[in-house]
Amino acid sequence: MIEIDNLHKKFGDTEVLKGVSLSIAPGEVVSILGASGSGKSTLMRCMNGLAGLNGGSLLIDGLDVSKPRELREIRKRCATVFQHFNLYPHLSVLDNITLAPMDVLGRKKAEVEAEAYALLKQVGLADRADAYPGQLSGGQKQRIGICRALAMQPRYLLLDEVTSALDPEMTGEVLDVLAALARSGTTMIFVTHEIAFAREISSRIVFLDDGVVRADMPTDRFFAEDGGYGDERIARFLAKMRNK
Amino acid sequence: MFWDGFLVTASVSALSIVGSFLIGVIVAFGAVSRRPFLRKAARGYIGLFRNIPFIVQVFFFYFGLPEIGVYIDAFTTGTMALSIAVGAYAADVLRSGIENVDTGVIEAAEVSGLSRFKIYRRIILPIALRVSLRPLGSVFINLVLTTSILSTITLNELTGNAKIVASDTFRPFEVYFFLLLFYCVLTYLLSLLINLWHRRLNRFMRGAE
Repeated sequence: MIEIDNLHKKFGDTEVLKGVSLSIAPGEVVSILGASGSGKSTLMRCMNGLAGLNGGSLLIDGLDVSKPRELREIRKRCATVFQHFNLYPHLSVLDNITLAPMDVLGRKKAEVEAEAYALLKQVGLADRADAYPGQLSGGQKQRIGICRALAMQPRYLLLDEVTSALDPEMTGEVLDVLAALARSGTTMIFVTHEIAFAREISSRIVFLDDGVVRADMPTDRFFAEDGGYGDERIARFLAKMRNK
Repeated sequence: MFWDGFLVTASVSALSIVGSFLIGVIVAFGAVSRRPFLRKAARGYIGLFRNIPFIVQVFFFYFGLPEIGVYIDAFTTGTMALSIAVGAYAADVLRSGIENVDTGVIEAAEVSGLSRFKIYRRIILPIALRVSLRPLGSVFINLVLTTSILSTITLNELTGNAKIVASDTFRPFEVYFFLLLFYCVLTYLLSLLINLWHRRLNRFMRGAE
């Protein structure tokens, strides 16, 4: 369970999050939408402890992100996939995937490697285990990024605009992997610009606007005429995204 | 005679390369630390030891310290002084390598739960070394050449021995020519080693677009 209560975050004098409250139950697939600068990436960085809080609280399974010891435990349960992949360039694909499970979770090498191969197979990259990130295309890198996150067997998967840095033809291959994952029951939190995709796979939409939650409703409702579309700012945002 | 000198030069060089590398790594990480105290201390260290002529540092350790009751033999003094002084240069080279590591990659390591130490050792250092190794190689070659200064504190390494041989035989041309060759060979071998290591660290870049 992720419980966010009245979260505030400032960068210098600019307040990016102005009191966000939100809770996400296990098994949910939630998309966080919003214009650039609405604070959605910052919200995600607060969840995995990359950004500290300036007010309010953020608990994951009752653990407090602002306490270093509890954050360490949170990071075992919460994995992140990044917009720019952020693979370790000096490690092979296999080592990229197995490093944290072995080191952080203390699991056995043979076991973790077997699992890594299974994950690679799932994303269609079974033959690239020995390659280095520099030898892969963007779409392949992101699929490895997803494998690396999943190898931690996380309860929560945070996905931060994971297709924004990809060419359209590579976006599809990544989204396919994610759609399969969403059906498997992993708790997923997407920050995304892919409206159509968010609509297809998430059960709930959170719309951030200027640092506050403007709407938080089931996906069907959000895209209904009298739901999200009823809100003038959301309607304008959706129209703008569609015209892109 | 020459051979003895060679052994001394080679062992002082090897020990000081290891020593200055270790000091360099520690000081470089200090210099990029989030803690202001560590950062200032590390940057102070780099600033201090790069701004004193090496021969003055050695004289201070070898001739100055005994005055206050600290006696260290020439070999140890030389190795220590070189490690400390060259460590400052190594730290500076490594620091720029570390600062160039993509912050996104470091963040990925952080959120995966790796400890600070593991992130330094498994992620940041190997990536930084990839670009820092060549300039670091120049620093180490300079270290080998600087060992000749240790002849001034009675350490009979290559140059010290050569001086003795030259004054015994009255054949300075031959002796110093031979000495010159010796240093060339030594540093050439070192640069070969560094090239090999560099290629190994960058092997994963092959085939990158």
